[in-house]
Formats: sequence, C-alpha cells, structure tokens
Amino acid sequence: MALAEPYVAPALRGRFGRTRRRTRWSSVSHVDQIAIGALVAVTLLAVVTPWIAPHSATRPAGTSLVHPFHGFVFGTDEVGRDVFSRVLYGLRTSWLAALLVIASGVLIGGLIGLVAGAAGGWIDNVLMRITDAFLSLPGPILAIAVVAALGPSLSHTLIAVMIVWWPFYARIVRGEVRALAARPHLEAARLAGVGRVRLAVRHLLPGAIPATVVTASLDVGNLVLTLAALSFLGLGAPAPAPELGAMAARGLPYLLEQWWVPVMPGLGVLFLALVSNLAGDGLRDLIGDR
Amino acid sequence: MTFTSVQPTEVASPRSPSAPPLVTIEGLHVTFERGGRDVRALRGVDLSIAPGEILGVVGESGSGKSVLGLSMLGLLPTEPPPRLEGSIEVCGVDVVHADDDTRRRLRRRHLGAIFQDPMTSLNPTMRIGRQLAEVAGTEAEAVRLLDAVGVPEPKRRLRSFPHELSGGLRQRVMIAMAVAGEPSLVVADEPTTALDVTVQAQILELLGHLRDELGCSFVLVTHDLGVAAQVSDRIAVLYGGRIAEVGAAADVLERPAHPYTVGLLRSRLTLQARRAGPLPTLIGEPPDPRAHPPGCAFAPRCTLHVDACDETLPDLVSAGGHPGVAACIRLDVPLAEEVALVDAWPEVEAVSAIEPAVRLTAVFKDFELKSGWRSKEVLHALRGVDLEVAEGESVALVGESGCGKSTLLRAIAGLLPIDDGAIALGPGARPQMVFQDAGASLTPWLTVGELIGERLRSEGCGRSERDRRVREALQLVGLPAEVAEAKAVQLSGGQRQRVALARATVVPPEVLLCDEPTSALDVSLAATVLNLLGRLRRELGMAMLFVTHDLGAARVVGDRIAVMYLGRIVEVGPAEEVASAPQHPYTQALLGAVPGVGAAARRTRLEGEPASPLRPPSGCAFHPRCSQAVDACHTDGPELVTLRGSSGHRVACGPAHAAGGWG
Repeated sequence: MALAEPYVAPALRGRFGRTRRRTRWSSVSHVDQIAIGALVAVTLLAVVTPWIAPHSATRPAGTSLVHPFHGFVFGTDEVGRDVFSRVLYGLRTSWLAALLVIASGVLIGGLIGLVAGAAGGWIDNVLMRITDAFLSLPGPILAIAVVAALGPSLSHTLIAVMIVWWPFYARIVRGEVRALAARPHLEAARLAGVGRVRLAVRHLLPGAIPATVVTASLDVGNLVLTLAALSFLGLGAPAPAPELGAMAARGLPYLLEQWWVPVMPGLGVLFLALVSNLAGDGLRDLIGDR
Repeated sequence: MTFTSVQPTEVASPRSPSAPPLVTIEGLHVTFERGGRDVRALRGVDLSIAPGEILGVVGESGSGKSVLGLSMLGLLPTEPPPRLEGSIEVCGVDVVHADDDTRRRLRRRHLGAIFQDPMTSLNPTMRIGRQLAEVAGTEAEAVRLLDAVGVPEPKRRLRSFPHELSGGLRQRVMIAMAVAGEPSLVVADEPTTALDVTVQAQILELLGHLRDELGCSFVLVTHDLGVAAQVSDRIAVLYGGRIAEVGAAADVLERPAHPYTVGLLRSRLTLQARRAGPLPTLIGEPPDPRAHPPGCAFAPRCTLHVDACDETLPDLVSAGGHPGVAACIRLDVPLAEEVALVDAWPEVEAVSAIEPAVRLTAVFKDFELKSGWRSKEVLHALRGVDLEVAEGESVALVGESGCGKSTLLRAIAGLLPIDDGAIALGPGARPQMVFQDAGASLTPWLTVGELIGERLRSEGCGRSERDRRVREALQLVGLPAEVAEAKAVQLSGGQRQRVALARATVVPPEVLLCDEPTSALDVSLAATVLNLLGRLRRELGMAMLFVTHDLGAARVVGDRIAVMYLGRIVEVGPAEEVASAPQHPYTQALLGAVPGVGAAARRTRLEGEPASPLRPPSGCAFHPRCSQAVDACHTDGPELVTLRGSSGHRVACGPAHAAGGWG
C-alpha cells in the first residue's frame, strides 16, 4: 500500500541509547565513580578472600599484640592472629551476608509488592496489611528472640534480619508499581490485550527496578551496620569466627594500649558503609528516575 | 493569493507609531547546553515592539518563541547559564548586561508576565488576595484589578485559594497580577492553550480591552496563528530560532510571503477546510534545535527549495507582498497556488441495515470523589448518552473539558465499567484507542517492535510472522522498519503518534477510538496525522469515534458530529450540517469561539464557564449560560429530537423545538 502523503522521517535520536548511557556515566561525580568502582572491587575481594588472605583467620600466626607494620599490616590480636586476615574474612562475611539479606528482601518484597501493586483492590489491601505487621516487628529484639530459641549462629541472625527486612522492599516496589499503573501506557497495554502476568512483568516491573536498585545499594551500608551491631551484641557467629562487629566488641578492652585490635575491624565497617552509600548515590545518578 | 479563512479582528493601531520602540532586540542568540550538546534556541533575532502594540509571536515547539518571551523578561533559566549574544533593550534597560537587581527593578516597574498554566504560577498555599496585594499594594487595589479583569464577586474571591477557582478565573487572576502597577509591557506565553475554546475567546478579548485601557504593549506567544490573529497588531513568525516573517497581522494572514507562513496557514484546520480528501500539509517535522542545518532551517520542508537555500542563512528582506519583512531568498518566486487536490477519499458505501459498530443506550457513569473527612461528592460524568456509530463511519465527539467525552471513550474501550445503560459492540476485533499523549501510551522500556507485536501474541502468531506484520504496520503509517528497534524516547512527537496508530491498527479493530490525538502536536503535524487517520480508517474499514475540543478538526474528521455538554449529547448530525447550520445554542457558541473564523460581528460570545459536573444544573444543563433560555429550560431536560427533512440531525433544546420544524 502506498503512502498517501509524503513524510520525511527525522533521524532516530541516538542508536539504541548507547550515547545516552555514556553521557550519564560522565554525569556521575568522580567520588561516586570511585565508590562504584570500590563496590565492584569489594565484591570481588569478598569472593577471592580465601586465596589472598595472608594468614588463617582463626589460628595464631605470630606472637600476640604485634604493632601494625611490624611484620603484620594491621598487627596481631591478643592470641596472635593476624588482624588483617581477620578483617578481610570479616569483610567477606559482612558483605556476603548483607548481599544475601538484600537479595532475599528484594525477591520476597519485590514479588509481594509487584503482586499487590499490579492486582490492586483487596489483594493489595491484604498483602500490605501483612507487610505492615512485619514492618512493625523490632529487628534487634526479634534477632535476640531467634538466637535465644535456636542458639547463637550467623545463619540464625540472618534469618531474623531477613524476616524484618523484606517489607521495606515490598512497600517500595508496590508504590512504584501503583504509580506506574495509573499511567496511560498501562491502559494502552490492557487495550492491546496483554495478559495479567505479562502486564505485571513486562509493563510494570521494569519501571520499579531503578528505584529498587538505588534503594538496595544505599541499604547495604545500613545492613552492614545492623549486622555489625548485632554481632557486637553477641548475636552472631560464636567466638573464633572473624566478624567485624564481634571483633570490635571483644577488642574493646585493648582500645587504649593496643588500639589496632578494635579499631581495624571498626574501620572495616566504616569502609563498607561509606562505599555502599556513595555507590548508591552514584547509581541513582546513573540509573535515575526513568 | 487570499486566505479567507483567517481574518484578523478590527484592532486599533498602536497608540503612537512614531514613538521610540519600547523593546529593541538586535541579533539575539541564545544557546543552552543540555547533556553536553548545544541547543540553539535563538539564532539571530531582530525585533522591535512599539508602545501600546500587541505583537503575536507564532511558532511551533522548538522554534524559540518561549525563549524569546522569557529573554525580554530577563527570566531565562539560569542553570546551566545560557549563552547570550546580541542585545535586548526593554524600557531603556539593557537586559543582557544588567545585573540581577536592575532586572528585578525593571520587572517590578515595567513588566508583567502571564504563563500557560496559572495553577503552577500562582502560589497554591496563599489566598488570591494576599498574592495580589503583594503586587498591587492594597486590598482595595486588588479588588479593583480583579474587577477590571472580569472576575465576578471580586471581594469574595480574595479569600479563595488558587485551586478553588476554575481555569479561566485563575488565568484572569494571573492577568490581574501581570497588569498590577500598570506595566509598559506584558509577556503572555500561551495564555489560552490550557483553556477551553469558549474561555479562550473571553481571555483574548480581555487582553485587547486591557491594551486599550492601559496602553501597555503585549507580547502574545502562541503556537496558533488563529489565536494571534484575534488580537495582534503585528505578527512575527518564528522558525528554527529565527524570524521567518514579520508584518502587520492582516498582511501576514492575507498576503503571507514566507513559504513557511503559507504552509502554516494552509495546514490550519478551519471551518472552510476541504473535507472530501486529504488536507494540505507541510512535509517533515520541525527542526531539532540541537542540529540546525547550515542554511535556511525550513529548506528541508520547503517546496521552493533550491541548492542556494542550504548554503547561507537568509536575511530579512522586504516581503514584497506587504510592507513587512521575510527571511527567504526565493520571495520573488510566486508560490504555487494551493495545489489542486484532486485525490479525494474513496466513497465509502453507506452501510445502513447491518448492526452498528457501537451502540450506546442511556449510558450513565458517576465517579465518587473524596471531598474531605468521610464526605464524598459525586461527579456525574455521563448522564444518559445515546449514540450510534455505524460500521465504517466516523463520528467526531466535540465538547469542552469536563463534558465526559474522554470518560465515554474509556467506557467504550472497556477500561471503565458503566453504572447504567448499555454499550453494544459489533462482532469484530476489540476497540482500540489512540491517546492524546502518544508518548505516555508507549511503555518506555519496551521497543516499538515489542509493543506492536504484543497485540499479535493473542492471535498465536509465530515470531517471524509477528516481525513481518510489525514491519507492515509501521510501513502503513509511514515509518521505516528500523523504528521497530527504537524506544519511545528516541522518537519525535509525530513519530510516537504514528507508532501508537500502528499499534492500534496492526489488527484492525472494528472501531478506532481517538482521544484528541492531535491536540498535543504542532500545527503542521496535526493535519498530517488527521490525513493518516482518514486514510487508515478507509483502507482498513474501521469505524472511528474521534474525541476533540476543536470543531474545525471535528468537521474534517467526522462524517457526523456529536456535541456533548456536561455528560449529554446536545446535538448530533451530519458534519457539514452541524458546522454550517448549528441548531443548539451551545454548538453555535462553540463555532463562534473557533479562533480566526468569521468576522467579529457574527460571534456569539459565550459568557461564563462550563458548569461543574459535580452539580449539574437542573433542567437543560446549559441554561445558565444560554442566551435563549426560557423558564421551561430551568426544569425540563430536553430530549434529542430529529429535525424534520434532515438526514438524522438531532438536537436537544427546548426553545429550538418550540420554534418548529422538529419531530
């Protein structure tokens, strides 16, 4: 069929958005760029820790309480274990635990939020009230209860934290999906005969991803601090395990004389929290609000 | 060459044509940097405005018309700072080089501004009275100003918040603020675009009155030549950041010199536009302000284009046909008379006996609105609508905002349940809809190919079959196949509307619903899209229900026109008949309000604004605004009655029925 009128189509703006992505990366500040780089580096570090740690995390490697840079970068602790290796393993544990909790939160919360937001009506109401109930649980107290019931172990603590962590994501995803559901493109898709599942997964979910990713990356810092605080309180892996919070807690008596014993794991927590917060800001600029 | 369709209203010439100009702009360039690229908004503009003059600045989106208005006010966005070259002198102040303080004093003493959406320019947390008093000084002065701009009960209105006023009243308040302190120059940027046509006519009239009373100059920035024609003394046509043509309003409208002005005038939808075939259009789309061609920006769309046009920017030279100036090197070449449009739409067989594509019987729809703690208000969107759209027929549904026309469309599409009545659809494919904002109706993260292909999934098409049909659908709306790989953000406004159309017609529906698909498009694109719709619906044999607020568009698009007021059809009949011999007073007023049509004498100016669907007036809902209302109109809701001897021209109006010829 021939065209009835001449039409000169203007050139498409940017092939497949590649140019847009490049300008976006340059719009992220240098500090945030470094932080995003550090985030990737920390993840890699956490994975390869067993191969690069100079000493064992649980067995003594030298005499006790050696000063930093006297054969050991971060010195040794009261039983002669290498603090640097312990901090590395601690970072690994904290980091992977934080990612695990966030992943579970995003999955469980995302699914519930998506269903609630896409379905609306009474389903939305019921799911959100359940979410509110979980949201009202006090995290640390639940953790104490779980650990008291099941015994101290990192996995028990993580279970407790996971229980209180997902509602947050359910709320975010549900809010984004609700906002998207009111936009004309949803009506257009419904008119095009798109089924419920595809509507939720293809037309709603992608719109909620940027906000969720940004929140999650900002949340890693939060979670690292929460886990460190719980382990500081003794609600983590039992004694010899290298955990940043517990190391700082047990090292506290040495603060004045052998400061490196509690301070080095503390700096580890600070580093993780700082990197994930800055990287979260960077990701927000990078992904943006659609 | 004459254009009878657009006639400027008689306006007094500028107070003192010999006085030194109030505004002098010379060689103005404004460049913004966005995303690392230069956006050249203005590229050398020379202009002057005399005291007491109304200058219409007309241009499409991206022409730089708003930037021109803002730069006169010294209010260009500052982040990132734009690069300015050239000079702007306003009331003796050099706006380009003055410091912020001087500019602020200039604005306070000599300038006023009116923007498109008064809701965003008025402070929502402050009562009207306090906001006005800030500029007017005293409350008494505020009352006087409100009275001067035609706000009824000005004393009471001082206590209102902006959201409590209707759009028209808000714009009047904004105008009152602009003219407080008797400015020398008021810049009005699209002051009527967000308003209904009947209210638009009132506001334009008000601007003319204020000029006569205050003697201040107005700059009326608009995309619509018809709006500019209503009140302007002079018209400047902007294209691609440069002035294409300037001259007295009557000259520019009747003897346009620049090919762009000619094209704009031809593609305007008027009540005289041809219905039998495609409308004349401008080819292509307005230029991208990030990548202007080195020569004349209009060259790629120009019928007079020669190679020299691409080499240098044309200067403003005497227009020849009138005392104004135009920027074109081919002014000596006579533009071809309006191309004899021989191609007419194919005759569509009158389908009578078979089931209609859509039959609405007494459709009612209410919405419940929360109006405070535990209290609800009921919005009566549809109050008994009867309408039929025959197979293959096109019906244009006309009405102002809030009349329920979009609700009706969404109900037919099955997106809204109705409260009462019946919607019967023909046996063909499900209705499809083309939305006003095509960009928003396309899911931003999916490609065009996926979006169009989705409709084929339910038909069980395989992947290669889908790809083939997507390509065909794109070709049918005049888009290249590679658009299938693009996402909505990569497309221009016109392309998005075409994609939306391709999506709606890849499986041709029995009835295509169009919700003001051209009102967000530039003037030169609207005609192209209407042509496309006209061709598609005939080729694919679709019925069409086309919602619009513009009677001009309705007349061209529809075989029949239905006029809606406050949730009811008040008049329906053959398009030409309704447009030329309207029977309902509301239709008559709508026709009178179409900008740029007919002489001032013929106008029936409609007072007031559409009544609220929260509290529809008793009897005939139109009676509070109707000049012909009699006592019975207050109590009796008239039914649609057929005009005797007509082919289905029906009107719901008591006095008209009483006049005879009905039944």
